[in-house]
Amino acid sequence: MWKWKKGSGDQQPNHNETLKDLMNKLSQSKDFMSYELEEPTNCVVSYFETMIEPKTINRLILPTLKRNALHSLEAMKNNIPVEGLAVTDDVNIIRHRFMQGHIIIQMKKSDKKVLTIPAVVAENRDVSIPEVEFSVVGPKEAFVESLDTNINLVRKRLTLPQLIVKEVNIGKLTKTRVAILYVEGVANEENVNTVEQRLEDIEYDQINDSSYITQMIADNSNSPFPQLLDTERPDRVTGSLVEGKIAILVDGSPHGLTCPTTIVEFFSASDDYFLPWHLASAFRLIRLFAVIFSVLSTPLYIAILTYHHEMIPQDLLATIVSSRADIPFPPILEVIILELTIELLREAGARLPMKVGQTIGIVGGIVIGTAAVEAGLTSNVLLIIVALAALASFTTPVYQIGNTIRLVRFPFMIGAQLWGLVGVSLVMAFFIAHLLKLRSIGRPFFAPIYPLRFRDLKDAFIRLPFNKQSQRPIQTRPIDSERFNQKRASEKRDIDE
Amino acid sequence: MNNTNKIPVPEHLLVTSTMVFLLVHSMQVGVGILGFEKYIAMDAGYDAWISILIAGVAIHLLLFMIYWILEANGGDLVSIHTSVYGKILGGLLNIGFSFYFLLLSLTVLRTFTEIIQVWVFPQMSVWMFALAYLLLAYYFITGGLRIVVGMCLLSVILGLPLLLFKFFPIQNGQVDNVYPLVDHSINEILVSAKTSTLSFLGFELLLVFYPFIKNAASSKKWAHFASFYTTMIYLASALVAFIYYSEEQLQFVTWGTISLWKIVDFPFMQRFEYMGIALWAYVVLPNICLGLWAASRIPKRMFNIKQKYILILYMVIVFIATIRIDDRNLIDGLNTFTNQIGFYFLMYIPVLFVLTWIMKKVRIANES
Repeated sequence: MWKWKKGSGDQQPNHNETLKDLMNKLSQSKDFMSYELEEPTNCVVSYFETMIEPKTINRLILPTLKRNALHSLEAMKNNIPVEGLAVTDDVNIIRHRFMQGHIIIQMKKSDKKVLTIPAVVAENRDVSIPEVEFSVVGPKEAFVESLDTNINLVRKRLTLPQLIVKEVNIGKLTKTRVAILYVEGVANEENVNTVEQRLEDIEYDQINDSSYITQMIADNSNSPFPQLLDTERPDRVTGSLVEGKIAILVDGSPHGLTCPTTIVEFFSASDDYFLPWHLASAFRLIRLFAVIFSVLSTPLYIAILTYHHEMIPQDLLATIVSSRADIPFPPILEVIILELTIELLREAGARLPMKVGQTIGIVGGIVIGTAAVEAGLTSNVLLIIVALAALASFTTPVYQIGNTIRLVRFPFMIGAQLWGLVGVSLVMAFFIAHLLKLRSIGRPFFAPIYPLRFRDLKDAFIRLPFNKQSQRPIQTRPIDSERFNQKRASEKRDIDE
Repeated sequence: MNNTNKIPVPEHLLVTSTMVFLLVHSMQVGVGILGFEKYIAMDAGYDAWISILIAGVAIHLLLFMIYWILEANGGDLVSIHTSVYGKILGGLLNIGFSFYFLLLSLTVLRTFTEIIQVWVFPQMSVWMFALAYLLLAYYFITGGLRIVVGMCLLSVILGLPLLLFKFFPIQNGQVDNVYPLVDHSINEILVSAKTSTLSFLGFELLLVFYPFIKNAASSKKWAHFASFYTTMIYLASALVAFIYYSEEQLQFVTWGTISLWKIVDFPFMQRFEYMGIALWAYVVLPNICLGLWAASRIPKRMFNIKQKYILILYMVIVFIATIRIDDRNLIDGLNTFTNQIGFYFLMYIPVLFVLTWIMKKVRIANES
């Protein structure tokens, strides 16, 4: 935002600044309050009106100062019934605390020594139900914008002394608090170090959301595929932590990140663990099929109708030909018109307020779709395919990968137009190469397909029952890879014993 | 054993010994399998399936020799040649191998392009397709051997369902065609076996990527297993073709396997060969990638130049050659030429085996 201002003194901590300079600078703001108290305690109280909790100052600090005669900062420190008080004369610390919502008290205006009293106002959204990753069964909590609340949500579910929370401040201007969570003794130290190192290496002025972090610490920032999984469900984060993954929570963002991740993880929903394993596996397979359908259906339509109509059996050909008879465009143009319409609807629906968005979606979808077919601009077979493909792309449980799928099908269409099915194959091969090369925090992204890890296949395309999940995934290279003792769990009993 | 030649390859670039299965198998199966039936039936007729088995056994023998040579020397092709022949003669042979691998890639790419021209797009511009395919191969190869092996894995997985479609022609075929009548002389069967051996070309690459194998000793069984699997696939393809076609008809079918795909019939899809050829792009891709990788790896090992530069140079060569060879007869000639060269390189392996064996004996004698 203020990158052009780089180098000007205002944003850099000035090491020669005195407390007086600081106060002068702060007093330019309307919400800066500073006043002197006289009897019985002589002191100067300053704070940002908008940053502090009025209750703290009115009920705890001012009564104490007015009731007792306190003549030193130490005396105040001992008498004011608030925790976290500190006396300091370091301007940098004072500035930092002041900006975070501390009240500072000086004995005299010219004093260098101050008492800082934390009185941060906690304006937070309440923990509510997850909206993006909603599931019918299972917990209904979602992360909120406050880091402390989010860590609390995770800790509540994982009451372990081994759960380590490390914190770094990122962003030259915003100094955003970013927490790294992992379970000691399970998570691989190498992964933790990589994440920590990459977070510390970030050079940017502001971090507004966890998605900034996703893009900044990604192994390949030019990839359309997200390399960290973002979730708004605390239960999903704890699930990942227990598997030996690392979670990143960012202050001000209601989405946590987990890593290292794999491509198949993006197609697993938290529902998969709440349902019996056969149902869950079936649904997961349907989801994977939906993704493939969503990406390949329109390119195949283009390829087959443009070059390989011999492939369509006679009876089916009649249906398709009759629906395409009056269409003035070649398949590629027809597809692009319809795909762009769908993308337009989707984009408009995402930008508009919820109620208007729904209406526009229905009006746009039904009216434009029917009108386009009746006007003879597109065939209704294609309309069905495109609508189904759009629907299928919404089945992805993680929003980020849905966006990727949305974009990825366009190169396939170009390939199909160039060389038919062979073109589709070539584009697919290109994406396979890309996925094979891709890494998430240094761990292969295309696992467990390649490198082939049979052990991790138990929770990839299908989810086997919990009693078969005795090992943590190899992907994370956990220190302790055993979830439970498989031997004891699988002791078989004979009939009538 | 002399392990001083060992070439250090960083741990994270190694492939597991299981992956040798993929490497050997996917290099052996390429475009050849789409049209080999005609050539092996030329001499031995329906008895050619015996020839495939003989060829399979021969390949196992050669594989055994390659492993023996590699284990005795503990390096790769370049270091073995240098230690056996010295710098100059060894270097020449190395360059010969490098060109041979390049030739393999070129043949595969040109033949596959021809298949697409014949079966799908007669009007297709060869240079555009070759360029796209080579760029794709470049993207793979720059990822290193591990990424190429990943493609091998996917090509084997994608190739499996294609095998199932062999079931369709069997339904309409004459199974008694392949009853072992043996109405050809041993000589004819052996000539046919020589022809079939050529279908298995490519496993010599083991000589180059051997240092990249983790626990190389345990990879031996995987290499043999891969070769066995390839033999079985060839055998199955040949048998299906023999069941479906008559002996005379077989001589007029250039691409036996592709023609058989035409029989596949689903309620939603006919003329499966279009799909089959599109999927075959994945089977061909590892061939080209591995060939180019090995071809460019040899000069890197010899002269210590960056593999990237040699790769680009080789790709330009392949690209120009692909455009220049634009005639059915030339392509046929290219295939025949590659097969002949390939046969000599196969025959060279026993020679190298004997030389290494003598060297080892001499060394042991000297030491004692």
